[in-house]
Amino acid sequence: MVEQTDVAERTGRPCFTAKGVWRGCVEIAPIAVVIIPFGIAFGVAASAKGISPEISLFMSIAIYAGASQFAVLDLWHAPLPLATLALTVLAVNARHILLGAALAPWLLQIPVMRRLAALLWLSDANFAQAMSARQRGEIDAGTLFGSGITMWLIWIAGTAVGALAGSFLGDVSRFGFDAVMVAYFAAVIIGQWKGSKDLFPWLTAAVVAVIGTHILPPGWHIIAGALAGGLVGTWRHG
Amino acid sequence: MVDTVAAVAAVLLLTGVTIATRVGGVWIMSYVDITPRIEAFLKYMAVSVLISIVVPTTIAAAPRIWMAVAAAGIVAAVTRNALVAMLVGAALAAVVKNLGV
Repeated sequence: MVEQTDVAERTGRPCFTAKGVWRGCVEIAPIAVVIIPFGIAFGVAASAKGISPEISLFMSIAIYAGASQFAVLDLWHAPLPLATLALTVLAVNARHILLGAALAPWLLQIPVMRRLAALLWLSDANFAQAMSARQRGEIDAGTLFGSGITMWLIWIAGTAVGALAGSFLGDVSRFGFDAVMVAYFAAVIIGQWKGSKDLFPWLTAAVVAVIGTHILPPGWHIIAGALAGGLVGTWRHG
Repeated sequence: MVDTVAAVAAVLLLTGVTIATRVGGVWIMSYVDITPRIEAFLKYMAVSVLISIVVPTTIAAAPRIWMAVAAAGIVAAVTRNALVAMLVGAALAAVVKNLGV
């Protein structure tokens, strides 16, 4: 597996093409559909907070980061605590910085405007998909942009349904969609396994993240776990 | 009730913060010489982000989610197909939920 990936990375030059954008749009679709219930749940929760459908839709269009949008709802009261809101969103979304850094060796070889396009729609799910695709030899960063756009549109559509019609739907979690993202991420992780040398860095990330959920402010356990896993991996094998 | 102008301004602020996190990682790395050592760090960090999301979420969730994650992991190890693994995991979670276990 290791050799295959390296060969693909060396022979193919990173690019960003319309074909790649379309491929990304299509490949993410089976994963993207499952965020519909989360979008609906956000729309419903926002209405329950007295937020108008226009504003909750605007949040999903502009911010487009589910976990942070839910976190914002708890703080949404007049007068809006702007500093607290900004810090909360920064904390919950700071993991994007790490996702971006991890993509840097790939994206820094792409022209800057296209690089920005690929990054503006970055999310956990399309990052996970990109990791999985990279391993199969994907070099077209257009796929990242395409998958981001699909996820974004579906997130907006879900929010619209929830904000406008949520009260008619009842509890959307009863369909069991709650397992999908975590199962998908677990599968992507397992796909990255390169042998027993990975065991210690991975365990470190897991342990630090779990401890972090108890002692760090919300969101920061992901940063702590990611950096710990990265450092231990480099220290032992770099 | 939060007035519309304040709400729009707040959302724009939060959008700016979020965009900064999305482009910030690559921007920082554009000033860093990506040596093999740095690249190894980034590769381990990438998978560690996902591990740090999955493990605490799974532990905090119901047993049927543990089963879904385990099933997805096993299927991914066998088939090397994350999508099939996700579908098997989710289907298992749905079945267990409907059995009322």
